Amino acid sequence: MKRSMYLLVSMIVLASMLLAGCGPAATVAPATAVPPVVVPTQPVAGCAAATGTAAIPFPSGGKTVTVAFSQEPDLLSGLFSSMSFAQWITQGILVGLGTWDANNNFIPELAVEVPSAANGGVSADGLTITWHLKPCLYWSDGEPLTSADVKFTWQVEVDPGNAVYTRAGYDQISSIDTPDDTTAVLHFSKLYPGWQTLFTSGPNNQGSIQPMHLLQGKTALESDPFTHWPTISSGPFVITDWVAGDHLTMLPNPNYWKGHPKLDQIQIKFVPDPETAKAALKTGDVDFVPDFAESDLADLPALEPAIHTRVDAGPEFEHYLFNLGIKGTGVGQSDYAGFCPFHKKDERNAIILGIDRQTIVDTLLFGKTTVPASLWPNSYWYNTSLTPYPFDPTQAAALLESAGYTAGADGIRHGMCNGVDTKLSFNFETTTKQLRIDMATAVQGMLANIGVEFKPVFTPSGTFFGNYASGADMATGKFDMAGYTTGFYPDPYTDGFLCSTVISNQNQGGDNNYHICDPALDTMSQAVNASADPAVRKAAIDQIQQYMYDNALVIPIYARANVMAYTDRFILPPTSVISGMMGDMFDWDVK
Amino acid sequence: MWTYISRRLIQALFILLIITGVCFLLTHYSADPMSQYANKQGMTAADRAAIAHSLGLDQPLPVQYVKWLWLALHGNLGNSFFSRQPVLTLIKERLPLTLILMVTAEIFIIIISLILGTVSAVKQYSAIDNIITSFSFIGYSMPIFFIAFAGIQIFAVQFKAWGLPYLPTGADIWNPKNLGVLIRHLVLPVSCLVIIQVAGYSRFLRSSILEVLGLDYVRTARAKGLSERTMLLKHALRNAALPFITIIGLDIPFLLGGALVTESVFAWPGMGRLFWEYAQRGDFPVVNGVLLLTGSAVVFFTIIVDVLYTFVDPRIRLS
Repeated sequence: MKRSMYLLVSMIVLASMLLAGCGPAATVAPATAVPPVVVPTQPVAGCAAATGTAAIPFPSGGKTVTVAFSQEPDLLSGLFSSMSFAQWITQGILVGLGTWDANNNFIPELAVEVPSAANGGVSADGLTITWHLKPCLYWSDGEPLTSADVKFTWQVEVDPGNAVYTRAGYDQISSIDTPDDTTAVLHFSKLYPGWQTLFTSGPNNQGSIQPMHLLQGKTALESDPFTHWPTISSGPFVITDWVAGDHLTMLPNPNYWKGHPKLDQIQIKFVPDPETAKAALKTGDVDFVPDFAESDLADLPALEPAIHTRVDAGPEFEHYLFNLGIKGTGVGQSDYAGFCPFHKKDERNAIILGIDRQTIVDTLLFGKTTVPASLWPNSYWYNTSLTPYPFDPTQAAALLESAGYTAGADGIRHGMCNGVDTKLSFNFETTTKQLRIDMATAVQGMLANIGVEFKPVFTPSGTFFGNYASGADMATGKFDMAGYTTGFYPDPYTDGFLCSTVISNQNQGGDNNYHICDPALDTMSQAVNASADPAVRKAAIDQIQQYMYDNALVIPIYARANVMAYTDRFILPPTSVISGMMGDMFDWDVK
Repeated sequence: MWTYISRRLIQALFILLIITGVCFLLTHYSADPMSQYANKQGMTAADRAAIAHSLGLDQPLPVQYVKWLWLALHGNLGNSFFSRQPVLTLIKERLPLTLILMVTAEIFIIIISLILGTVSAVKQYSAIDNIITSFSFIGYSMPIFFIAFAGIQIFAVQFKAWGLPYLPTGADIWNPKNLGVLIRHLVLPVSCLVIIQVAGYSRFLRSSILEVLGLDYVRTARAKGLSERTMLLKHALRNAALPFITIIGLDIPFLLGGALVTESVFAWPGMGRLFWEYAQRGDFPVVNGVLLLTGSAVVFFTIIVDVLYTFVDPRIRLS
């Protein structure tokens, strides 16, 4: 009886599983990339036919390099992936109308020239931008690349059916006219000073032109096989092979407007461990590792002369920020108040003066980068009139003394802050990255010398950078001080200082991590976006930096660097701070 | 037998249900997938809300779990939050190479452990026992990444520098369908796994055999005039192997999960890396998919081991 009972129950369970399995399946994205059907191509009017319809095979004895990436890209579209590795590769396969050269000048890519007021490309009110594409452009499959693709890219960006990761700027375009195959006229509904970041491809741009002939009529493009693995290209290379978790292969695009790149093949191998990458450089298994951490500078120079190390300035900087939140429910107010002494300029200044940032750079970063005075170092936007705060513990102590903070029995200062006896002891939250841990440990010792207790808390980045809904400390304002990297991408983002972007229960989508709401700063930040004239914007951005410097609002720690290493046979041209080390694959070469 | 299996299968389904619930909860609080967009300036609140909606993150957690479970019952583990690929596709891409690595290592681990453990027990306190014991402790106490990097430095980097035949670092582009190339790439990672595991297993087997060798029936077997070899192989080892089989049986499901450190150091595109890389980003569907796979394997292999017991040890009756 008991046996029959067990058998019956097990049969029922198995039957229900089978029935469940036979039910209507949920919609799932197609599995893997399918090579596109190559249609007979029609040459663009007045142009010769496309050179080819598929990538150029690797010739015997051809020039090839192997690049090691520490992470595999999730999908290869700047529109849908926020991952740097994805955007680096995308730069070589799906390009934009413009790009940035090694001197950080904005130059045309698929366009004939960069629009400007002088050439009539930018209207007097800045609301109309006219791009002229190069004539006779083709995708790698031989289909013409025209202004219709530009318009289609905009439609993809603003289609609510597509989960692009940002529509910023594209949602300011009201319409695009395409009077002919090479002209795209962008009409903005309101001034968008950062228009150069649209329809461009780069580490932090999301505008690579999309092929209308393959994607038209589709929606939910984030799950489309083409988005995962673009099988055609408008850039110098086409991805012809992608072995999951292992490597991908890029071969030359026969129709790239510049012609054949200097290399016949690039292979990208996914090597998660930097020590293995170093060993592979020594054995010649890989030629180029573009993403070493700054801490790897400890032993990379010892690999010379067989392995060269290059440290290029990056667009980012590490900074520590005070929580300047004011508790309340109004606009610009936070759920939690920042640490009381941080609301006083002298106390903030004392903290800054008590941190020896140059020693941090010299010891932990081997002197390979710089201490910035303000935000956005290594860029056109950096206020060069400012000099970095000095390391002056004597003055720091004096500032705290004059503010009424005296040392207690445990050596930590305390004093009255808004009528409450307050100990100068606060938490500092950052990620678990080793360099950040080392820096925080150093800062802890430095601040202890001036009677300040700095208590680091290390949180995995997935939690640290969580949003308001996830309860992350930085987003909700439950922190005293935090540290992370930010930068210019490639246009400084000043909206993060606005009162209207302070994150709170009432404004959960805000991105003002500083929780600062300062009317003066608000006015200056708004001025940045009130003009499309770079000179006017530069003046406004300089003013913001001056104000933040004078009021000791943030602590810029060091300018981030791109640490690369490569074998002697590999020729790496100069790279742009904005486009990064993968921005010029066309000119990569070997000896 | 069938009653027992039926009962265990029913239990297994409930256990799996609990496992999936706990894992879903833990992974949800381990990382926030939206943190990937936290430092992306220019993203508006609407952008973030749209992405959260497209990933289903705007729904209450129980709803997310039930939807995931319903899909899983249909044989669909959902799509990765970031690569947007079906989780089953991602697993299918990585599983074969993980199995090649782990099964090869496991075979060597079992064979070498059996040999070392038996020799060490039979030759107790001899020079060879002391040598095996010493090396076991050395192997057991070394972190696997140290062995892995030492292996790369010596057998890949230095051997090449010295002009000797050398092993690959794993960071080269290679074709696993070429058997010779595959074997060359297996040598270092398999060796690392074997060194670490054999150390513990051989010690375990040694003590197990020593315990059996002291029992009455072994003395009786010797008194019957059986040779040492027959007594060891037919009587002692068979009984001593029981707990060893349990360990091996419990190990097998974890072969599916891969070896994170070994796979990372040798750039081996396996399940361990898949899990870790996606877990770091808070890609719940992939993480939960891998956990469901390994959890199911643990549950079902435990049942298989229990059933195997009856064949190895006639004293055990499943009823």
